[in-house]
Amino acid sequence: MKGVFRILVVDDDPGIRSSIASHLRDAGYLVVTAEHGRIALDVFEQERPDLVLTDLAMPEVDGFEVVSTIRRRSATPIIVLSVRGSEEDRVRALDIGADDFVPKPFSVPELLARVRAQLRRAEMRPVNESLRFPGLEIDVERHRVVQNEREVRLTPTEFALLELFASNAGKPVNLDQIVSKIWKGAPGTSPDTVRVHVASLRKKIEPDPSNPRYLVTEPWIGYRFIAEPVE
Amino acid sequence: MKRVLPSAIASAAAIAAVTVAGKLIGLNQTTIGLIFLLVIFALASWRGLVAGATASAVATICFNFFFLPPFYRFTIGDPANWIALVTFVAASIVANRLLVRVQRQAAAAEESRNELRVLYDLSIDLFAATTRVGALEEAASRALRAIGANSGGLLLFDGSPLKQRVLVWNGEEPDDIVEDMVAGVGRHRRSVEIPSPHGRDVYVPLIMGGRAIGAIAVRGATATITWLESVASLVALAVERERYVREIAHVEALRESDQLKSSLLRAVSHDLNSPLTAIALELEALTPIAGEDSAARVASLGNHVAQLQRRISNLLAMARIEAGRTQPRIEPTPAADLFRAARESLPAIRDQRRFDVRVHPDAPDLNVDPVLTLELLVNLIENADRASPAGQAVELIAEPSAQSMVRIEVRDRGPGITKRNHEFDDVEGRGLGLEIVRNLVCVQGGTFELSNRDGGGAVARVELPAAPMMALESI
Repeated sequence: MKGVFRILVVDDDPGIRSSIASHLRDAGYLVVTAEHGRIALDVFEQERPDLVLTDLAMPEVDGFEVVSTIRRRSATPIIVLSVRGSEEDRVRALDIGADDFVPKPFSVPELLARVRAQLRRAEMRPVNESLRFPGLEIDVERHRVVQNEREVRLTPTEFALLELFASNAGKPVNLDQIVSKIWKGAPGTSPDTVRVHVASLRKKIEPDPSNPRYLVTEPWIGYRFIAEPVE
Repeated sequence: MKRVLPSAIASAAAIAAVTVAGKLIGLNQTTIGLIFLLVIFALASWRGLVAGATASAVATICFNFFFLPPFYRFTIGDPANWIALVTFVAASIVANRLLVRVQRQAAAAEESRNELRVLYDLSIDLFAATTRVGALEEAASRALRAIGANSGGLLLFDGSPLKQRVLVWNGEEPDDIVEDMVAGVGRHRRSVEIPSPHGRDVYVPLIMGGRAIGAIAVRGATATITWLESVASLVALAVERERYVREIAHVEALRESDQLKSSLLRAVSHDLNSPLTAIALELEALTPIAGEDSAARVASLGNHVAQLQRRISNLLAMARIEAGRTQPRIEPTPAADLFRAARESLPAIRDQRRFDVRVHPDAPDLNVDPVLTLELLVNLIENADRASPAGQAVELIAEPSAQSMVRIEVRDRGPGITKRNHEFDDVEGRGLGLEIVRNLVCVQGGTFELSNRDGGGAVARVELPAAPMMALESI
């Protein structure tokens, strides 16, 4: 029973705002817009959008404030638009509650893919069956992974990692999340521990390690599962 | 020399006059001896050594001949008178020498007092001088005049004694000899004195912190080397002072321009990027509805906009590095991810160009700032794509290298590199990109070189630090 998703677009540049809005409408979403942070928070209260797409650099109430204010009130997915070269800003935005970012300049397909990935969470589909991606099937219940019709043997840690990444397909998963979910915050678990296990997992699931198709690092954040699930 | 003969004649005449007077008055030998001594002292102190010595000799003869019995002959009768004569000679010689020494010391003291006064005036002149342009030159010129040379000047070195710059020069123009001598004293950091048509030329290095920063050339010098060296150290200090003053002003200006740059950076990155992003988005909206003939134009426009965005991004990266705002944030990053992200950043190239990506199975992760490294790879791939003929693949290679480094190569089959763009000074597009690559590699402790490839084409080779890889078993 998938309804029509409502997206709030916040950007002080009218050109970008209207372009993004029209692309999202073309993709079948309902769009409301706001030209700066204060209006955005009012519109958010009235319209209750399913997703918020906000610029970071805005006069008066900026994107960071929009993110932290919305996050205090609700779990609505938030994607920030961050200019290339201000990578610190995107890390900070994720820290205070944003779910993902789109670096400017961006392509429309990239933007739509990130939006879809966030809205998938909103669909609240239970993930107890199998996760299927092009060329890769993960049977969550039986702990089996099949890559191009060939079974891949994973250690329990590797399987847990793959399940975490795949169930968050299209979204960044940060190192802290990984340590707390997989190692339950066990003492002595460092980012290096995660890296070694992920490197080993990647060797097993990637058909061509020089051209990764499933899992890539996300600078200063963690990892991102880049394949889109097969419906 | 000219003054010797008149002094001797005058002394002889004076003694003769005293002798005649003494004889007329009929003075005894003791009185006349004392008067002779008095006259000798007076002559020695008045006219110097020659006058004193002549007076002593003439007085000794007269004393013996006229006043010691037997008179009017050079023999001496009473042995006691020998003692009188010897005493007289000894007293006159000793007195003479003492007087001359005292006079010389007084003259030397006067001279060094004058030198000190000149040095003092000079130091006041050099250091109290305002920092306005040309003040140092004027003070140095006055210093040279105080030295009292025929001609001469102050030369400064620009990094090496062979690169000389004349700060001031008085009198006859400097010639090749001056240049060679100045270079010589600069290299050896020791003063040199040579005879010349001017009399005597002296070259003194200006030494600061063990390094020669210039030299003083004095042609036809009368001053001593020691004194000239004192002047040289004063001038060296003044030159250094002026350099520091200028540097401080420069640093101040830089700081202000950095602040300006930072605020410009924010403005430019936002104000230029926003409309470009809007244009790109509009173009993407046009693509599906464009007719067959206009679709190619829309695509081409899109490529141009993307290129413009890359250029702005390059300029911003460059400005950030220059302003010292780019502090690398190092983290272990797999080469394959960087290659993928770089191609994703260049959608137009990704869709047109074939890539041959080979990451060696033993290649460690790179210990780099992922964003800076992505930026440099994008530049190298853009260059390789531009150089490559259609249909030829661009190769992206990562392999382990010596000493915990990873070698990244971007290879093309283009025309290869000419000497010109090898030196990074090609301005048409390539130059800035390569300059940025070089800077980005440098701030991360790597190396970068561009060379020609066997069989045609170019290789951009970047070596970057490798991340230490823990073994799975060790955890």
